[in-house]
Amino acid sequence: MTLSHVLLLASALFSVGVYGLLTRRQVVAILLSVELMANAANLVFVAMSRFRGGVSGQIFAIFALALTVAEVAVGLALVILLYRAHSDTRVDLASELKQ
Amino acid sequence: MIQSIGFGLVALCMLATAIMVVRSDNLIRATLWLGGTLLATAGLYAIVGASFLASVQVLLYVGGVMTLMIFGVMITRRHEGLDVPAESTGGVRGAIAAVLLFVVLAAAIDKTEGLDVLRVTPPTTTAELGRALLVEHVFAFEVLSLLLLGTIIGAIVLARKRDLGAAVRALHAPRPAAEIPAPPPSASGDDDASSKVAA
Amino acid sequence: MTRPVMYALVALWTPAIAALALAALVPLRKKGWPAAAVAIFSSLVSLGSAIALFMDRLHDEVPQQLVAPWIHAGSTVVAEVGVRVDGISASMLVVVTLVATCVQVFSVGYMHDEPPAAYGRYFTLHALFLFSMNTLVIAPNILQLFAGWELVGVTSYLLIGFYFKKPSAARAAVKAFWVTKFADMGLLFGLLVLFAATGNFGWDAKLSHGVATAVTLLFFLAVVGKSAQFPLHVWLPDAMEGPTPVSALLHAATMVAAGVFLVVRTNPLFAQAPATRMVMLGLGAATALFAALLALVQTDIKKTLAYSTCSQLGYMVAALGAGSMLGGFFHLTTHAFFKALLFLAAGSAIHAVHSNEITDMGGLAKKMPITASAFIVGSLALAGVPGLSGFFSKDLVLEAVEGQLSNVPYAALMLTAFLTAFYMGKVVFVAFFGKPSNEKAAHAHESGLSMSGPLMVLMVPTVVAGYFGATFAHVQGEHYHFHFGTGPAVASSLGLAGIVLAYFVYGRGPRTEQPAAVALVDRIAKTRLVNRVYEYGFHNVTLVVASGLAFVDRYVVDGLINLLGYGAIEAGRKARPIQSGFAPDYVLAVVLGVVGLAVWAVFGSWR
Repeated sequence: MTLSHVLLLASALFSVGVYGLLTRRQVVAILLSVELMANAANLVFVAMSRFRGGVSGQIFAIFALALTVAEVAVGLALVILLYRAHSDTRVDLASELKQ
Repeated sequence: MIQSIGFGLVALCMLATAIMVVRSDNLIRATLWLGGTLLATAGLYAIVGASFLASVQVLLYVGGVMTLMIFGVMITRRHEGLDVPAESTGGVRGAIAAVLLFVVLAAAIDKTEGLDVLRVTPPTTTAELGRALLVEHVFAFEVLSLLLLGTIIGAIVLARKRDLGAAVRALHAPRPAAEIPAPPPSASGDDDASSKVAA
Repeated sequence: MTRPVMYALVALWTPAIAALALAALVPLRKKGWPAAAVAIFSSLVSLGSAIALFMDRLHDEVPQQLVAPWIHAGSTVVAEVGVRVDGISASMLVVVTLVATCVQVFSVGYMHDEPPAAYGRYFTLHALFLFSMNTLVIAPNILQLFAGWELVGVTSYLLIGFYFKKPSAARAAVKAFWVTKFADMGLLFGLLVLFAATGNFGWDAKLSHGVATAVTLLFFLAVVGKSAQFPLHVWLPDAMEGPTPVSALLHAATMVAAGVFLVVRTNPLFAQAPATRMVMLGLGAATALFAALLALVQTDIKKTLAYSTCSQLGYMVAALGAGSMLGGFFHLTTHAFFKALLFLAAGSAIHAVHSNEITDMGGLAKKMPITASAFIVGSLALAGVPGLSGFFSKDLVLEAVEGQLSNVPYAALMLTAFLTAFYMGKVVFVAFFGKPSNEKAAHAHESGLSMSGPLMVLMVPTVVAGYFGATFAHVQGEHYHFHFGTGPAVASSLGLAGIVLAYFVYGRGPRTEQPAAVALVDRIAKTRLVNRVYEYGFHNVTLVVASGLAFVDRYVVDGLINLLGYGAIEAGRKARPIQSGFAPDYVLAVVLGVVGLAVWAVFGSWR
């Protein structure tokens, strides 16, 4: 197990997240995909910190974790808003940008 | 050797659960699969010697974010029960893009030198992390607390009963919508119900 | 800031403030009379400071100026804006403000029947004109003079077209604008040549012979346009479509004199270009004679005066061409007074009989004594009768021209003096003596004080200005001695002869037919030869070129633009489905973008 293995794993995780982001139609499911991607990024931080020394990477990971929590909170608030407007949470309903 | 086997297992778990997250037809299950991915990540953290991060991951992510997600799914459902469809479309397109991305990232990792290091640093202690967090990065730490406060307020404002959704509905209302648009009868009932749940 | 500079600034800015206030405060303007009050007050203040400035110049010859940087080129200042106080600007300022004040007061009565809004607009334009003219007069360099020059052009356009609902007035305004604008190109290009040669816009540069000739010839083109010299005089008679006080101020006393003033101002440059001066002398004398002949056959009192103005401007240009800056400038000054007086008196008569035709007047001397005496005094001054101002200045001009170019211009100007006296005599005898020709003329009565007052005021300088020749010359830093030699004697005798002849021809009752000589000129004038040349040129040259250009513009330039526009529309139509408003599509775009960037980062810039 070397650093590059961990990074490859993180890339794979990230790509899976992107796949979800592109295919999902439910906003909550999209949020889940975003979580996957964030998790992959976090993994890179921690791996770098552990394999190359120093604790900054892990501090960064903690911060990123907190940010992710914040993002989820705001994201869910938006989901509720979308649900109020359309009685559903399918993302293709939120296409006002086109109008 | 044992470590490598552990890494292999964890990585397998992680990818499998992640694929289930994006492929599952049931939204609740997808959320639970995400919990699996996060737990596997925590295991990986433990393997590489970041034990504090591993525990934080379990506590915060699996405990907090997962709960939040489940709540999110629940309160935006009209029906009772676990039958929540998580529709997906355009699988081929998404797969191509994802594979493309992975190939590029893998190529980048392959081309970068000095990544084939084995772990040499001793495990990080919590004391080390705490010192770094509250001495070196104390300013960022405080800023982050402000951000969290802002997030709480923002989320409350967004999800309040006085719905900003009215503005969005106005866009969909039939043309002569000069006055305050009355919500369509079918939607208004749900609206009240949902806000009750939110409250 | 010294005192003279302060006077100049006051004279410059008071009308500007008045014009701005009247333009901005709409109710003040629309009400009518407050606009007149504001404009006249500002002119009076301006006049007061101009007189104070002139007094100051009597015992202080050192020019003073106050300038601020205007145009920067890197770290150097290539043009400045400000005021310059010297004899020339002080004298001209007095002339301009005095005539302007008189004309504005006169207008109170003359324009009385206008609706309040038009009345207010009229006085606003007058204030604007005074500011523009003052900008021109006290300019410290030719560039600011050019700015003032264009500003008076605009106000002239606006005032000629004051009755813009009348098609002929609108046409006359446009014609005046086009003709003078064409000529103004000369000033602009002259400025460019001057700047290229010296790097600034001053008028006291030492130039090489060729450059001096080029610059002054270009300047002279502008003078020909502005001061209505042959062959660009055609706009001035048409400009009489404007209200008569406007004709008095702009198209007799001040604005048309701006061309002459330009030569006076840039005299150091013209002094270096003898070739240009010869052209000026010839053209000035020719214009004087030509316009006098045309004045002879006019029956419209204003047109007579307009051609007379052309003719007198020809005198000034000829004097300047002969190298007598003082002669040209002095004649400009006296002419401003008596021609303004003539125009205002004519306006008063027109106001009384509601017609411009002298044949519709007749016998006005008894009904309108002040108007008639003003007109007669003005005519005598114009005819160069000894003792009046016109005599002294005309004499100075003739003295300068005498002996130049084998005396041909001299003879032309002498003949012009005779013709001038003759046609003015004709107007006086037909319009003011004899029997009233119709009911209106019979029941005409003297105009009110606001109209007769300015006439009386202007009569004073018309009579006495000639005696201040020495003072005037002193302020310019020159010397002047009047001596009654053969030149003045011949000229004034010719003038008197013209008047006497006019009496025998027109003074003894109405005539049915013209004298043979006048009839001949009339027939020639009726051909409108110069105007027809322009019209022919316009139709056959300008229009052909213009339609060729229009074709290129319509099908080549516009075609390209349309092609571009059509391409953009089509591209937009094709690109529109991309904007689905559907979030995953945007994400896909982001992902592909990231992949592209990553490919470039990994493989592209990898050494």
